[in-house]
Amino acid sequence: MWQSLWSQIMDLTLVVVMLRFMTPILLSALGGLISEIAGVINIGLEGLMLISAFTSIAVGSATGSWVLGTLAGVAASVMICYGMGFFSIKLKVDIIIAGFAVNIFGSGFTIFMMSRIYGVSGNYSPSGLNNIPAINIPFIQHIPVLGKLLSGHSLMVWIALISVIFCMLLIYRTPYGVHLRSVGEAPEAAKSLGIPVNRIQYSALAWSGVFAGLAGAYLSMGMTSMFVKDMTAGTGFLALAVVLLGNRNPAGIFFGAIIFGLASAVTTLVQTTPGSPIPSQFIQMIPYVVTIIALVFFAVRKKRRRIVLAQG
Amino acid sequence: MKTGNATILEFAGIAVAVILALLCGFAVILVTSDEPLNALASLLLGPVSNLFNIGTVLNKAVPLIFTGLALAVVFQSGVFSMGAEGQLYAGGFLGALAGVYIHGLTPWLHLPLVLICAMVGGALFAAIAGLLKTYANANEIVTTLMLNFVAILTTSYFVNNMFKDPNSGGFARMPYVNPEILLGKLFPGFPAHAGIVLALLAVVVVYLMLYKTNVGYELRLVGKSSRFAHYGGIATNRVVLTSIMISGAFAGLAGIVEILGVHGTYKDNFSAGLGFDGIIIALLARNHPIGVLIAALFYAYIQVGAQTMQVGSDMPREVAVIMQVMLVLLVSSQAIFVYLKQKYGQKAVK
Amino acid sequence: MSILLQMKDIHKVYPNGTAANRGVDLTIHEGEIHALVGENGAGKSTLMKIMFGLEAPTSGTIEYKGAPVTFHGPKDAIRHGMGMVHQHFMLAPSLTVSENIVLGEEPRKGPLSLFRDRNKESQEIEKLIQTYGLKVDPQAKVETIPVGQKQRVEILKVLYKGARLLILDEPTAVLTPQETDELFDSIKALIKQGYTIIFITHKLREVMEISNRVTVLKAGKTIATLLTKDTNPEEISRLMVGREILFRVDKQPSVPQDIVLSIKELCASDDKGAPALCGITLDIRAGEVVGIAGVEGNGQTELVETITGLRKAISGEIRYFNEELIGKSIAQIRAMKIGHVPEDRQTTGSSLTSTIAENLILDHYRNPEFKWGPFQSKKKIKQFTKIMMDVYDVRAQNEDVMAGSLSGGNLQKVVIARELSKNPKLLIASQPTRGVDIGAIEFIHREIIKKRDGGAAVLLVSAELSEVMALSDRIAVVYEGEIVAVLENSSELTEEEIGYYMLGLGIKKQKEEVAAQ
Repeated sequence: MWQSLWSQIMDLTLVVVMLRFMTPILLSALGGLISEIAGVINIGLEGLMLISAFTSIAVGSATGSWVLGTLAGVAASVMICYGMGFFSIKLKVDIIIAGFAVNIFGSGFTIFMMSRIYGVSGNYSPSGLNNIPAINIPFIQHIPVLGKLLSGHSLMVWIALISVIFCMLLIYRTPYGVHLRSVGEAPEAAKSLGIPVNRIQYSALAWSGVFAGLAGAYLSMGMTSMFVKDMTAGTGFLALAVVLLGNRNPAGIFFGAIIFGLASAVTTLVQTTPGSPIPSQFIQMIPYVVTIIALVFFAVRKKRRRIVLAQG
Repeated sequence: MKTGNATILEFAGIAVAVILALLCGFAVILVTSDEPLNALASLLLGPVSNLFNIGTVLNKAVPLIFTGLALAVVFQSGVFSMGAEGQLYAGGFLGALAGVYIHGLTPWLHLPLVLICAMVGGALFAAIAGLLKTYANANEIVTTLMLNFVAILTTSYFVNNMFKDPNSGGFARMPYVNPEILLGKLFPGFPAHAGIVLALLAVVVVYLMLYKTNVGYELRLVGKSSRFAHYGGIATNRVVLTSIMISGAFAGLAGIVEILGVHGTYKDNFSAGLGFDGIIIALLARNHPIGVLIAALFYAYIQVGAQTMQVGSDMPREVAVIMQVMLVLLVSSQAIFVYLKQKYGQKAVK
Repeated sequence: MSILLQMKDIHKVYPNGTAANRGVDLTIHEGEIHALVGENGAGKSTLMKIMFGLEAPTSGTIEYKGAPVTFHGPKDAIRHGMGMVHQHFMLAPSLTVSENIVLGEEPRKGPLSLFRDRNKESQEIEKLIQTYGLKVDPQAKVETIPVGQKQRVEILKVLYKGARLLILDEPTAVLTPQETDELFDSIKALIKQGYTIIFITHKLREVMEISNRVTVLKAGKTIATLLTKDTNPEEISRLMVGREILFRVDKQPSVPQDIVLSIKELCASDDKGAPALCGITLDIRAGEVVGIAGVEGNGQTELVETITGLRKAISGEIRYFNEELIGKSIAQIRAMKIGHVPEDRQTTGSSLTSTIAENLILDHYRNPEFKWGPFQSKKKIKQFTKIMMDVYDVRAQNEDVMAGSLSGGNLQKVVIARELSKNPKLLIASQPTRGVDIGAIEFIHREIIKKRDGGAAVLLVSAELSEVMALSDRIAVVYEGEIVAVLENSSELTEEEIGYYMLGLGIKKQKEEVAAQ
């Protein structure tokens, strides 16, 4: 078993699988990050991803275009986010409850639509679907190590990586990003300077919809070629954990997504490796336990710092 | 009179929210169904069309009552736990172990022992989140969400390995529990199991606990004004921990009652969201135990209605989810309730 | 000098009936430092909110540069060239100094660019810092810099937005003496550049040191506007605190007996960890009321919280009948017949969403008398609550009314009822009549004196000097966490004398005397 695992690390299968698992976590966590920065943390990522996954494969298979499919998925997810904003900002529903509702909605609504449109209840796998393409880089794809490392990944993997840079620019290099952060941290201060707090929060939720939408599209049209009910299976919650551990910073999110992607990749490899001594359940548990430990660590450190301050 | 009016307004507000949510569901049916009247009829009348369905409503309501109570308790202490799902697995698992592997007791001792084990399991598992909150000040929403996965995966491991029934084939489940302690049917020909009696009992117990005992007094005081409770000398951390553990105990009961009443043994992933449904029930009930009873029955009614609709028409049962979501959102909209109070509350007081 | 801003006959009545401004006149000349002084509740902050467009006046007019103006929001005020430095900083902690300064008007790389021009940003800020000598590191995160620098950031923020009239709301309240000096230097530099400054404070030393003119507010009205050089602290303090006697309490001279509470060299820090109390030493005897006088924020809150166990002491001792209170839990202290009327009845003194009964049984619910087996005895609680509401004149439909729906006076009577009904040997009453109607004030005062005459020791903390004088037998004045004077309350004692100590002038005088010797 160890040997088999080791060989997969050596032949870079682990890295490739890790990138596949990391992509949806990273994308939706970036969405969660922007919402958190603006003080409207979106815990509905799971539901948003499901809605986008379904919408994009439905539109994608109907039109034969993965571009249209992805755009439709993103649009659907953004629309739900505006609804979430309406309820949480306008009707003053707790943002956590609104996110919780989106999660229930995402699960139920996709099953409902699947059954209404395709008359199936468990999964929908259209034939002849044009998936989000993989990018094969000429020349490099034939170089032994580099080829496997860089070439042949889904376009969405690259989009996810570029999104990290995009978010960094958005958050730190644009006035809008500064407004986002000020609205999340000191809404009164922002208001006193004429920054439209509500509008900024709506837009932050919309961003989380965009990224969760991309993640969802990848689930049904990149990672797989089908929609399975509740196919996110906790990815949104993992993303949420990444958001909380990411230190409000896209680089931190990237790092967290790699760790969780790696854990998921190891889980899969161990599960598919016969005779594993470590039960897969415990490997699956790693991200959640890490999250709890990290949360405790941060909280304790904060408490200590306050005590030190008080004494100094 | 002011309190009376406030309660009535609150009640009216919830009723309006419920009606609006139902109307949303109806609208979806009217728009998407080819036989909307048939679908609506089976949704609304299906659950009461025969004894079997009525019994099913009761059976569906039982675990919801328990998880609803669990969350009502913990919400009343001001803790936003989302951990009933995990506590339900932990409690159900420990209870089932006692039910399967302890032999030779009379049912009159064995059943209470199994119930107690389930409560202990749920409470101890909940205590993890409680300690994390009180001692490490870790956000309970996140820790409970994460701990849910820990509970589900750990129990899954056990039931797939050492506690797996060798005769279960491909299914991950324990051997069947002592058949003498199963919660049997209330009446022959009526599928409701005796769990409903336990659930009613639990409603009474929680009601008494919350509103008639010192434990409940402290718990509610901490939830309403933690500063006031602290000023009054109440150890708020201890109270929070207690409330989380009580909540865990009821979540554990939800698990074991479902096992003893429906499944007959511990099955992997048997809950499928009962703990999360409990959040909706508690929100609808405004954390009041009597409200939990009503909300759980209503919720179960809609679920069974959705099922009969799925069988009797072209509508899938997930339509109910749209109603659930609207319910959650409308009932928790502070803006709507503040508006109602401003508009009608003042007049009513005058 | 031309008139920059003129506010005439400003009235402000809040929807709940509170009249915060009842005829304020304020004239600001261009290029002056105008101090605005008044006690808490004199209407300063309401006036500022009106000036800055955060509140609309009920009546009255505002003229800016000779033309009448109406501000619909802070944006309007900012556009007219006004800038406000709030007492509570309006800064986003994890943003850098520079980001906070330009917030809302970030320079961009071009008129249509989506990106911030960080070079231009830092150049402009560097220029501002150079021009006004407000030294601060533009790249530091706000959460990491000390309070004094945070304030500079606030000032830079309004300067960056082009303000010509700066309103500083109690800017020195959070500063150390050194930081205050630096702030004053900056203010003087600003005046040289032609800025105008409104300086809100209740520290008279600062008024004398920095202002050109001073306007005194009292009870929502303008009492006087004086040239600083023609006045003195004594006159200002008399104008500030002198008032018609609101409180008349019939009481006999006290008969102090044994010491109940003995505080020695007590030190404690505030919520942020800064020292708030140092070396407090005070005895309180049975049968006397000791009043704590002082401008709010000079350690009163911390003193009360430390005695009652809500706050940890750093050093010193608190002996109650020869038993040390430090280290005891709140519950233990409450069980020792110590009553505590906290300063904030809405958040600490009561639970607004609980019933009157639930609020009243806080000290009694564990008592077996109130129980029926494992349950609370509804009947006993009801009986008890009824009696309490009767005795303490709580006016409400019944005992199941939510505390939050009671008027301020009635709610305070609930708190008083709970704390007095335990027959305390020591009663600590903090702001016992704040925001309470006259009838309730008289009632509460009578009850406190009744407890004193019954042999309880009473520690009274109040921001209302006249209340302290009306009730106390001895008055301890606190200033910056120390007791600067303990005075016997007699008919000769005047508000001016106490006010003198409250404003820290006593210490200065002593120091001067020491220096002179």
